[in-house]
Amino acid sequence: MYSMVKTAIVCGIGSVEVLVEADVSDGMPVFHMVGFLGAEVKEAGERVRTALRNSGYVLPAKRITINLSPADLRKSGSGFDLPIALALLAALGVLPGEALEGLLVIGEIALNGRVQPVNGVLPMIADAAERGITKCIVAAENAPEAELVSGVTVYGVEELSEVIALLNGKKTIKQEKERRHADPVQGKASGGDFSDVSGQSFLKRACEVAVSGMHNLLMVGPPGSGKSMLAGRVPTILPDMSKEERMEVSKIYSVSGLLDHDNGLIGVRPFRSPHHTITPQALAGGGRYPKPGEISLAHNGVLFLDEMTEFKKETLEILRQPLEEKQVRLVRLGGTYTYPADFLLIGAMNPCNCGYYPDMNRCRCSVSSLERYREKLSQPLLDRMDLCVEAASLGYNELTGKEHGETSAVIRARVNAVHQIQRERFLGTDIRYNSQIPASMLEKYCSLDRMQKQYMKEVYEQLELTARTYHKLLKVARTLADMDGSMRIRMEHLNEAVCYRSLDKKFWERM
Amino acid sequence: MEELSYKYFLASLSDELSAEKLCQLSAVAGSAREVYHMTEGQLKQIAFFTDAETEKLLARRKGWDLERKEAELHQKGICLVTREDEAYPEDLREIAQSPYGIFYKGRMTDPTKPTVAIVGARMCSEYGREAAGQAAMQLAAAGVQVVSGMAKGIDSAGHFGALRGGGTTFAVLGCGVDICYPPGSRILYEKIEAAGGILSEYPPGTPPIPMRFPMRNRIISGLSRIVIVAEAREKSGSLITADYALEQGKDIYAVPGRMTDVPSAGCNRLIKQGAGIFLSVEDFLRDLGIVMGKRGGQDIFSKNLLEKEETLVYSVLDLQPKNIEEIRQKTKLAVTAVMQSLITLQKKGMVREVFKNSYIRKNR
Repeated sequence: MYSMVKTAIVCGIGSVEVLVEADVSDGMPVFHMVGFLGAEVKEAGERVRTALRNSGYVLPAKRITINLSPADLRKSGSGFDLPIALALLAALGVLPGEALEGLLVIGEIALNGRVQPVNGVLPMIADAAERGITKCIVAAENAPEAELVSGVTVYGVEELSEVIALLNGKKTIKQEKERRHADPVQGKASGGDFSDVSGQSFLKRACEVAVSGMHNLLMVGPPGSGKSMLAGRVPTILPDMSKEERMEVSKIYSVSGLLDHDNGLIGVRPFRSPHHTITPQALAGGGRYPKPGEISLAHNGVLFLDEMTEFKKETLEILRQPLEEKQVRLVRLGGTYTYPADFLLIGAMNPCNCGYYPDMNRCRCSVSSLERYREKLSQPLLDRMDLCVEAASLGYNELTGKEHGETSAVIRARVNAVHQIQRERFLGTDIRYNSQIPASMLEKYCSLDRMQKQYMKEVYEQLELTARTYHKLLKVARTLADMDGSMRIRMEHLNEAVCYRSLDKKFWERM
Repeated sequence: MEELSYKYFLASLSDELSAEKLCQLSAVAGSAREVYHMTEGQLKQIAFFTDAETEKLLARRKGWDLERKEAELHQKGICLVTREDEAYPEDLREIAQSPYGIFYKGRMTDPTKPTVAIVGARMCSEYGREAAGQAAMQLAAAGVQVVSGMAKGIDSAGHFGALRGGGTTFAVLGCGVDICYPPGSRILYEKIEAAGGILSEYPPGTPPIPMRFPMRNRIISGLSRIVIVAEAREKSGSLITADYALEQGKDIYAVPGRMTDVPSAGCNRLIKQGAGIFLSVEDFLRDLGIVMGKRGGQDIFSKNLLEKEETLVYSVLDLQPKNIEEIRQKTKLAVTAVMQSLITLQKKGMVREVFKNSYIRKNR
């Protein structure tokens, strides 16, 4: 007898439907599994047979064939156990075939028949819902995650026997509706508030500009100047995520197994701060069966690279393409995997090895060590930083001062307003933020009048600026004008943008 | 065969034999030509010449093609002046370990003009850099020749200052004059060659090795009437130059620093030990016996009318680099207003950004 159960596997942060077919016929007694199986899927056969026996179902001495189609797609992951078991039981006549129609099954089985959770349930169910699936069976632990998808009835199960009873109509599973988060509240980002940091209003201002236009930010400064402290608080001034953005982020976290089952869709923009010993694979995503890396986990949020000069050069160079394309494509033998990676990059670094350059009273570096340090900076990456600021070393008075400034909530309200302006301006285009304005559109969005152009020409000559900083400068000036609520870019916006221009290697030159 | 080719042979030995020995040798033999034609037996009879040194000389002579070597020198545009020549600087003749010959590109120092050395640390502060640059510029404009070692930091600031002042400047290297060291200073090297000269006692092609750099300092001080130490830490290499200057009976001036300034500790110590205090160029020139003409140029403020905020920002700046945050705290202005003023001041050339978002006052 033949039967078929639908399941899915994760591919990137989407999924592909997989059909599990089972056939039981007369012949030499064998248990045969086919369909381009990965090692962990081949093991599924042993797990399923044992779990079935332990649940009271002994397989007959017949020729049993399991096929996972499409056959050209390599199957990996442990979510096939439950669908295989159900297909087998249906083929044996234990389950009615019609009970499996329109049903998606995902789950791993332990030898005692317990159903175990797997990663990536959210994208699998979300895609299945679009394909017309209305019911799904997942492990009880995965149920809250699956329930985030509207239009699908979710059965969270704990035991194999429970599933059999359910499909035979002998038992109804309590759908814990009350557990469902109809619309999860926007979580408040934890980890402090901007008003915790005293002084440093220049740095705070730079953070606000960065977030307002989603401009990548590089902070240079001596140890203990509050760079990391402020970077850690940037999520508190990031604007709210839309429903789609939250879904995107939650899918990535689901695939990585990092989704918190109790909180529903992720409501707080991610803040990822990998240690500088991170490998290129862990940063960009990788592995034989690719998993999202830190840059994807920072999608729609902040990727903070502390001590940026300590990262290996090849690790940092990997950021170049995702920063342009807002996604990362990993090509493997089994296919191409695309993970979104649209993040705000914030970097922090010391100005030299000892950390105190250019304060000659404290800096202990030699000319050659400064030169070596300068060589660590990657020019292509510097070119991708729109804003660059130096943090001052704080004196005792400022550290203990009462000058706390605005709270994150106040700043965040302003940021939300600037984002609204950008949404309206870029309506109907691919652009979302000022930082993404392509060079060809600069004339349209960041036009200067004749006087301003003349002024900029003079500033460029006087300050010996390079041409490549010019475009970035215009985009930053656009953001500054938006923060001011000004339609046109004014002189003061240009001036301020010049202050944020990117780090120049000549600053380490001891001529 | 030209006399020069023999002199080149003798002067080229400076990378292996001490300057003292070379001078003695030429004095004993009478001329470089005589030295070249001495037999092994004759060399071995010279009391102050050890066998090892004889070996070195003979080895060098064996591979030496007088004609080709001289052509090479001409081709590279390198000149040579030795103790046997009248053009040899009198000042150098008298010093201890006086070099036998000086290779140079460009010109040799002009003995009729006053010569001053400006030396100091490579890792200098903006204060030291500005002091060296300003001093060199004004001295050069007043017709003083500025000598230094072309190292990064103070040396470079001195050379650049002299060039800005439109004067002549000379760099004494610790390697061959055809080698630009430090390699990153190519532009400076070419400018010095055009506006003055690159000097070295070592033959062309001698690689820069650390051992030779202190030795060239005796030439820097030897060529000069006065040595100005613009900035030196407690154990700075520039103090070697000061020691040579003392030995040679030259005057030393030091640019004073505050007592807490680590980069100026060596200078302050020199002052305590009796060095002259470099307070201003006018003051210094008076000591040198040169009376400066009237200084041109208007007061910086009357030329650039400043806004109130700009004046405030300018007033808190000095030669110690200050971050935007510090300036904001000192002026109590809004951070955006500080940025406005800084860019305007930079554009007017009154402020310089020495490091990302760190600014100093710029004197013109």
